[in-house]
Amino acid sequence: MKPAPFDYCAPQSIDEALARLAAAPQAKLLAGGQSLIPMLNFRLLATDLLIDLTGIAELRGILPHGRSVRVGALTTHHEVETSALIRERFPVMGEVMRHVAHLAIRNRGTIGGSLVHADPAAEWPLLAVLLQARLHAVGPSGKRAIDAQDFLLGALTSSLDADEILLRIDFPALPRRTAWAFDEVALRAGDFALCAAAVTLSVGGSRLTGGPRITDARIALAGVADTAVRVPVAERMIRGQRRLTPELAHQAACAVRDAINPNADLHASADYRRHLCHGLVKRLLEEAQRSCAAPAADDGGDGH
Amino acid sequence: MRKRSDPARLRRPTTGETAISRPKYVGAPVERREDGRLLTGRGRFVDDVAIAGTLHVAFRRSDHAHARILKVDSKAAAACPGVVAIYVAEDIEADFQPIVAQSRMRGYQPTAQPILAKEKARFAGEAIAAVVAESRYLAEDAAALIEVEYEALESLVDPLRSLAEDAPRLHDGTSSNVLVERRFQRGEVEQAFHNPPLAVKERFRFRRKAPAALENRCYLADYRGAADSLTLHTSTQVPGIVRDALVDCLAIPGSRLRVVAPDVGGGFGGKTSLYPEEVLVCVLSRRLERPVKWTSDRLEDLTATSHGFDEVVEAELALDEEGNFLGLRADVIGDVGAYSLFPFTAGIEPVQVASFLPGPYRIDAYQGRVRCVATSKTALGPYRGVGRPAATFVMERLVDMAARRLGQDPKAMRLRNLVQPEDFPYKVASGIVWDRSGFTESLAAACEAIGYESLRGQQEEAREQGRLLGIGMATYAELTGIGSRLSASPGMPFNTGTETAHVCLDSTGGITARFGVTSFGQGLETALSQVVADELGVAIEDVTIVQGDTAAVAHSTGSYASRGAVMGAGAAMLACAALKERLLRVAGLMLNAPPEEVTLAEAGFSAPHSDRRIGFGELAKTYYSRQGAIATDLKNELGELSASRMYDPEWGTTSCGTHIALVEVDRETCQVKVLKYLVAEDCGQLINPRIVEGQNHGGVAQGIGAALLEEVIFDEQGQNLTASFMDYVLPSAAEVPRMEQVHLDLEKPKTLGGIRGMGEGGTIGAPAAIANAVADALAPFDCEVTELPITPERIFRLTRDGRDGSGRGN
Amino acid sequence: MPFERRIAVTVNGVRHERSVEPRLLLSDFLRQMLNLTGTHVGCEQGICGACTVLIDGDSVRSCLTLAVQADNAELRTVEGHGQAQSLSALQRTFKQCHALQCGFCTPGFLATIEDMLNKYPLENENRIRELLSGNLCRCTGYQNIVDAVIAARDDLAQSEAANQQTQQE
Repeated sequence: MKPAPFDYCAPQSIDEALARLAAAPQAKLLAGGQSLIPMLNFRLLATDLLIDLTGIAELRGILPHGRSVRVGALTTHHEVETSALIRERFPVMGEVMRHVAHLAIRNRGTIGGSLVHADPAAEWPLLAVLLQARLHAVGPSGKRAIDAQDFLLGALTSSLDADEILLRIDFPALPRRTAWAFDEVALRAGDFALCAAAVTLSVGGSRLTGGPRITDARIALAGVADTAVRVPVAERMIRGQRRLTPELAHQAACAVRDAINPNADLHASADYRRHLCHGLVKRLLEEAQRSCAAPAADDGGDGH
Repeated sequence: MRKRSDPARLRRPTTGETAISRPKYVGAPVERREDGRLLTGRGRFVDDVAIAGTLHVAFRRSDHAHARILKVDSKAAAACPGVVAIYVAEDIEADFQPIVAQSRMRGYQPTAQPILAKEKARFAGEAIAAVVAESRYLAEDAAALIEVEYEALESLVDPLRSLAEDAPRLHDGTSSNVLVERRFQRGEVEQAFHNPPLAVKERFRFRRKAPAALENRCYLADYRGAADSLTLHTSTQVPGIVRDALVDCLAIPGSRLRVVAPDVGGGFGGKTSLYPEEVLVCVLSRRLERPVKWTSDRLEDLTATSHGFDEVVEAELALDEEGNFLGLRADVIGDVGAYSLFPFTAGIEPVQVASFLPGPYRIDAYQGRVRCVATSKTALGPYRGVGRPAATFVMERLVDMAARRLGQDPKAMRLRNLVQPEDFPYKVASGIVWDRSGFTESLAAACEAIGYESLRGQQEEAREQGRLLGIGMATYAELTGIGSRLSASPGMPFNTGTETAHVCLDSTGGITARFGVTSFGQGLETALSQVVADELGVAIEDVTIVQGDTAAVAHSTGSYASRGAVMGAGAAMLACAALKERLLRVAGLMLNAPPEEVTLAEAGFSAPHSDRRIGFGELAKTYYSRQGAIATDLKNELGELSASRMYDPEWGTTSCGTHIALVEVDRETCQVKVLKYLVAEDCGQLINPRIVEGQNHGGVAQGIGAALLEEVIFDEQGQNLTASFMDYVLPSAAEVPRMEQVHLDLEKPKTLGGIRGMGEGGTIGAPAAIANAVADALAPFDCEVTELPITPERIFRLTRDGRDGSGRGN
Repeated sequence: MPFERRIAVTVNGVRHERSVEPRLLLSDFLRQMLNLTGTHVGCEQGICGACTVLIDGDSVRSCLTLAVQADNAELRTVEGHGQAQSLSALQRTFKQCHALQCGFCTPGFLATIEDMLNKYPLENENRIRELLSGNLCRCTGYQNIVDAVIAARDDLAQSEAANQQTQQE
């Protein structure tokens, strides 16, 4: 299991990288390499040229932008896991990072690499659709922004063109009072999830407006379709309700189970995945509701 | 009667006047001598051995599970940079004699295992062509360009299909795909099953495993033409077997064919067979007169290293109203893959499922039939526990099923039926003889230590809350340290019953002990040092152990079947006693005392009427180097101050134990969490309790993997779908529980030192204990656990569909 | 060699300059070009963790890293932790706890644990097991490895406390 030969370059700027890419259409971009290099080792993939982006400083970093956050595409999972800004604004992201593979992978693997690789069971695509991320890319014809759901086309397929480079991912602010919950089921700790789910519940309104209501509900899943998905039909059932009762959680979870059409693989049938989904979503909705009810949820975000 | 590992209490009892001093090391948790080098990256595994000019091999392996090879085109590959040569079967067949595993079993059909597949490939991943190049990278570049034309034949994936009359034969010239068939019959079986008050019957499936040692197999052959000598560095458990086989195969005398197994990174049975790649590097090194290395990658390991445990077992247990066992019958079908591996044969695993099925129980009437069926898959070989994990799984499940039907507690049902202390020696219906071992004691000790009754109470409460808690136990027995009266594999026609130790005092006072038993993680270097140091009354640091090298002793077969400690320590004791006799004579001469009055203790010799103390160094220098110090006659008589002895434990001895697991099944995820785990075992005299406990930890972890996660899966075309660590799921630290252990201190067996073999018990007891615990947890559903691994997917189907939730066939 | 790159890597404090093919894996570079064979290769897929080394202090799979990517980096391999006669603190706890058997996976565990001890409080056994789950061991059943981590964590906390005290005095 050794890679076939290829050439290598490590451009120091985005322009240089774009030029390299334009000159070598068969080239592959190397970010953290934690998915790409195994594929090269297995010779499932061959390339003439690897363009190593890790030397480009402007592709790294986590910066506030108003109430939203911009994460450079080459930021590692571990940097996100330990970022104070992320912990403050998107605690769910920090929590989810703990589930991404293992420390040695998180030290090296990047958010951009993971999103472009678009593994259906990976955590970043799940977070991107949950948090309605906007992905910024640059190519020969300039820059463009792509919504997460449009970016993730299918299993190992993204809408990034072969001559484009992913620059950064913007996460728009969540409503002020948002509770969240996340969990995943894998055969072994750190493995790709058989099913992963994350939910957010945002509460708004006051006694003046007739009491608090759930203004926004999001349910995102990974491992149960060709790519990470949201389940609008279930989200709609919750949105506008005063609170999420166990009965409603159950109904929403059933709606999720019925809406998805999971693939079967070696370790899990479609039916088992549906069962997992139902259980996970129900539990996570209840968890999120509990955090909503808890006083800590009032100042936004900290649900866990 | 029982004790937790308290080193102070684990010392060997002194045996009166023959003991010169109390053993200092045997029984103590001595820190390992191997650790210094292994912890600092200075170990020496085969792939670490670098010889200048080494060539590297990569294989083109079969894409098909069963196909005729019509044409191999390696023109493009041969033109690749760095390629030295490319070989197919025809190119090398004149260079060696084929290796065929023989057996005395009636009706046995041997299969020659090709070094490179010729005419036909019999499993996906079988080597067809070998590329030799200046680096592994370059060899792989070329191998990728080799084109093979096949004519696909029917893949034999399901052993039941392979059994059918109209199934294609995997091997030409065989009368059927059944390579081994054997029956066991004892007692009045028909009578036992004629309207018994209770009979429990089930069809069990124990699915295929991969030994998956962390170190992949690696072979480096270094042939020197000028001397016509060959050294093979190999990651094997059995250097002696490999050497003896290669001598015949390559026609190089044993005196010039040396097989070295340096540090070996785990074996678990996967490194006890002679492999085609092992022979090939030798053949190629001789041909090219350059060192040739092949290092397996994980893909090759999971597709071409022997697999373990793959049986369908239909079994039935008859009982009377009180729960006494009346009879047992079983039909075992073993899926042995494409070849009968040398030396242990296709019978090694499935035949032992049938012969060990009655286990530690009193069963007078037993009928067992076993068929080892060839399929187009990787060959089945020995894997830790061999046969007994599946046998114990089946038997222990039957016991629990019967207990449930009769409303009896599983513990009571076992105590009633286990071979009782007064029954030993007990001859099992299949012919195996159990010597005295703590069957009932291990069960009682396990229940006491884990607080069995209160655990049941805890379970009751949990069930009321809707939680699925289960308690499972398994009692097992195994034969260890097998001597010359039995074969280590049923029907294998050569002696595996002896092991050699050679202990030598050199002219500087250095003590070197050479062994044939090898180490691949069990800490034998430490354990054997402990024995030698005690026997010679020296410090452990004064003893150097040499092992893993056929140059060390004249004959050996290696380490497998829980024999290393029993046989290595036994041989060490005999050799040390013989050496000591010589040393005492020399010391007597120097001390002016008769040898019988000389005392050897604390690394020195002394006598009652002299205050002189002679150290080993002084004795050695005087004996070997001081002119005129020792009378010529005595020197001519004694010769070198060394002794070599072989030890043969004849029948071997019984080890046994009881495992208890507390598990919880998560209703939402269908996953099993092992909450508590306990092992109570009788392995006789512990040489090093720390090592013993480590062996149990590791064995149980493998057993839990076998029970919950690990499964080699083939698709209908015979492609291995689990050929990476992503899909062949070994347990990690997060899936393995903390476990407790109890070591029984009972009457010692007759083996030298009172040692019983251990190290396989973990994988023997754990699958059954976990299966019983999961079945117990799932009691609220109408289902039985009949298949391992019991994965979340299978639990999902069981809890959804009841009874036979298993979707997959056979 | 079609594509060669000149790289300079500091390993265990020693600077090495070599020409390498871009496709050469860091694990093979260490083992074959620098003869640092303590770094072991188990799966070349990043799952078993046997090849884990420290790059600029972070634990990294050397089988999922190209040697060219380590250009100008500081590496620490198992050979840099301690010597047989003067083991590092973590190596000592491994020996005392019998946390290794065949020793093949051990170098990877040591690198992972060094990084864990640096980055996480390791508040309980579950957390430790979760963080160890990226390194596979087939021999020990992990219990003694977990115990070694607990011992190393406690030793570290003690020596840090002692340091603080000395500083205050």
